[in-house]
Order: sequence, then C-alpha cells, then structure tokens
Amino acid sequence: MDEKVPRSNIIETEIPMGTVHPAALEPYRVRFFVEDEIVQEAEITIGVNHRGIERIMEGLPVEKANSLTEKICGICSNSHIWNSCRTAEMGLGIEIPERALYIRVIMGELERLHSHFLYLAHGCEVLSHETFSMRVFYLREIVMELLAMIGGNRVQYGCSVLGGVRPRCDLDEAKLLRLKNDMDAIEEGLTGFVERFTADSIVMSRITGIGVLPQKQAIELAVTGPTLRATGVARDLRTTMFEYDNFDFNVVTQPDGDVKSNLVMRALESFESIKIIRQAIANIPEGKVVNRDWEMFDTDIIESYIEVPRGTLYHSYALESGRVRHCIIRTPSMANIGAMQYACIGDQITDAQLCIVQCDPCFTCTDRAIEIIRR
Amino acid sequence: MGIKSFSRVRAIHVMLVYTGGCNGCDIEIVNSILSPRFDAEQYNVYLTWNPREADVLVVTGPVTHLNRKPLEEIYNAIPNPKLVVAAGSCALMGGVYKNCYGDIPSEEIEGPVENIIPVDAKVPGCAVRPQDVLAGVVSLLPILLDAD
Repeated sequence: MDEKVPRSNIIETEIPMGTVHPAALEPYRVRFFVEDEIVQEAEITIGVNHRGIERIMEGLPVEKANSLTEKICGICSNSHIWNSCRTAEMGLGIEIPERALYIRVIMGELERLHSHFLYLAHGCEVLSHETFSMRVFYLREIVMELLAMIGGNRVQYGCSVLGGVRPRCDLDEAKLLRLKNDMDAIEEGLTGFVERFTADSIVMSRITGIGVLPQKQAIELAVTGPTLRATGVARDLRTTMFEYDNFDFNVVTQPDGDVKSNLVMRALESFESIKIIRQAIANIPEGKVVNRDWEMFDTDIIESYIEVPRGTLYHSYALESGRVRHCIIRTPSMANIGAMQYACIGDQITDAQLCIVQCDPCFTCTDRAIEIIRR
Repeated sequence: MGIKSFSRVRAIHVMLVYTGGCNGCDIEIVNSILSPRFDAEQYNVYLTWNPREADVLVVTGPVTHLNRKPLEEIYNAIPNPKLVVAAGSCALMGGVYKNCYGDIPSEEIEGPVENIIPVDAKVPGCAVRPQDVLAGVVSLLPILLDAD
C-alpha cells in the first residue's frame, strides 16, 4: 500500500471513545468516523492531562528544574532528566566523566528495555492474548528490579545530575555482576518469547497487515523512533549521539509498518539494548562519576535532541542567573499522534485500539505541549 | 457477615482511574495487580475497567480540571458499598503540580482527590510501590466485610 487517503466527504457515523475509556489506560479522546465498520477517518484530541510542567520549570534553579522534568512521564522518566541535564551541560560546557556517561547509557538502555517490554505486554493484552502479556510482564519485572537497584526507586530514579550521575547510582562490582547475570536471564526469556510469538500462526495472522502506516506518509508526518523504523527508515539519533560513540549496535528496521512489524521491531531492538549494556559492563572505565568543577553563567537558548525509547526528545531552555527561562519540551508522542490517526484508516473498528497502541502512545508526556498564539 | 459480603470478599474488583499524573503510579498499580510477580489475583483482587462491577476505586494523579467530571461520574456509577484508595503523592496532595502557578491559585489542578470524592485509604509514594498498593487495598477489606 503506497498511501492512505482520508475521505474528504462527510461521514455520518461517528464512534467517540473517551476521555476515560476502559480500553485505553490514559485519558484521551478519539473520534472514529466509520462506514460499514471500516474506519475512514480518526481524530485524536488530547489536553485532558495538561499540567503545565514548562510553566513550573520557568524561573526554577536549573538543578531543581532537572529533577522536575522526571515528573513529565513515568515511563521514560530517565530520558527526560538525562536530556535536561544534557541541555545545561551543553550550554555551560561541563565536562562529564567517562564513567558517568557509561552509567547514563546503561540507565538509558535499561529504560528502553522496560519501555519496549511494556509495549509488548500492552500490545499482547490489547490482542487479548494474556499468556504472552504475562510472560513479558514477568521479564519486565527483572528490569524494574535492576532499575530499583541502581536508582533506588522503581519508577523515578533521578540518575543524572548536572556534571554526571548521582553518587548513589555508581556501579560497584556486585551490581555489575548482577546486571550481567540478569542480562543473560532477560536474553534467554526474550528469545523464548520471540520464538514462541513469531511461530504462533494465530497471533501472526491476527496482526499481519493491520494498522499499516505507509513509509511515505510516516516521513511526511515526521514520525519518530521505533514507529518510523518499523516502516523501513533506518533513522536513529543514537548513531549521532556522542554518548554512544564507543558502542557497537545495529539500527533495527522492519519493512511493513503494520502491527507485526512494530511488535517484532521492539523485540529485536531489545536485543540490541542488551548488547549495548553488555558492552558497557565490559568496558566501564574507572574514575569519578560526577564532575562538580563547573561555573554557572548566563546562556542563550540551548537545544538538545536525544533518542528515547519512543522517539526523539527535544529539550530547550536558556539559563539566566542559574534559573531556567523559555523552556520548551517536545516529546516523541507529539509527532506520533499523526501516525496513530493514519494507522486506523482502512481497518475494522475493532482493530482501531490496536492501531493506536502500535504507535506506542504516551499522552501524559504529550499533554504538556503549549500552543503559542500570536495575535 | 451476610452472604453478599461473604461472596464479595472472594472477588474484590479494583478499578483504576487515572486523572492526569505522570503514568508512573498508573503502570505500577496495573503491574501490581496483573503482573505475575506481585499477582494480587492470589488475594482475590481483580482488575476491572467497568465501574458498575467495581468495589474499590484506585485514583492516581492530581485531578486536572477536565478530569474532574469523569471522576465524579465514575464514582457515582460504582454501586454501594464502595471504597476509594488515593495512590501516589499527586492524589494525596497534588504533588509537584499543585502549586504550578506559585501564589496564583491554579485553575488547572483540582486535586487532591479528597476535594472531589471521599477517600478511605491513602497510599503515599512517588511513584507508589506495588507492595504499598496491595497493602492499601487489603487494609480496606474489613470495611467491605462489615458492609452488609
């Protein structure tokens, strides 16, 4: 399929969903316009979760603002604090110890594992295949324990600080050994899951060709992250980030852009994450984990892009006497909302929720977006 | 203990409502009930998404303005006896979002949950730990037992 074209004439039957709906965990509103149970057009409205984090950050000391960015999202909290620290570090020219960069990469990849496992588990749950879902949830629990071991909390770890990582998050021999052993356990469990999942002809026939997002449209909609890679575009910001210079990994792509491609791609990408963590454990350098030797000065607006589990994350702010000004944050789901709307078109209404879930939505992140209207 | 209570405690249905937090507590609660690790189903606690069959309502998040009405509607749809657990620091006191405009009263955040519906148990934490959620829900079971 080259392109999906939304209908321009009036469609009379509308099925609204939300804002609080049993099938969707997070509150958001979708309107499906259907003809004979086939979705012709979908419209997602967000804004229910708006809390205004950027407004709270405005005028706070940068250290406080960094830890506040964690509260944007409970799934990719580490990415936010990482990118926020990175923004200030880029502006102030802070040198980060090599060991701290490695620990940040380990945390980032562990978070990618837990986000992808959550995606797989949630995807299987929407497919109503509870056994697979439980299996991935069990694997995910190993990752959560590791995150709790390193950061001290299961969800918001607060690993990065300006100039490195918190001393609490330093990895000693025992922690590295446990990390290494658990990586083996995760790889074994995930291999078993993927083999069983891809060999299951019932599940495969259920998800093949559903919720197709054509490559041309994905590029037009500026879709990011795994959702873009599942349409066959090998674009991953990790290849350009200096943190990942010493690591060897592949950018995984899948050709079709349907639910199957998305699910399989997440699973394959998890193996790459395991590979990166193993390299980090083997080569982690000795030394300090935090560099406290830096000075604060006023800067222009600083911008930083990193690759997070769900796509490209953008943080930007200026520093004025140590405080944050003009803060803008753009999360990956903002770009992927377009993909969700397109993926639904042409599918049965019963598959619509699956089509939305396949784009890995996180509306909590996204609902901080502010539209500036100039009058 | 009547026959209704006798049966009810053998199938406690928990409904989760999410009112605009950061998703962290939310996933931990689903995790604590569904996932094989914590597995609340072994204590006869089940997750449901239908307010009409729920016994315990678990609320997370600081209740944003647009979420107030859905929360009230869901609370009213639950049959008696009903219990409410507020989980996470956002639900207990508004969290980091409560004073988002400094001294100016925020129109965005309606929470904490107590302002909107009566709360029976409070589970602190940011994010809540699954063990604490289970302890909170299980601590309410005597109230359900004595209900009728």
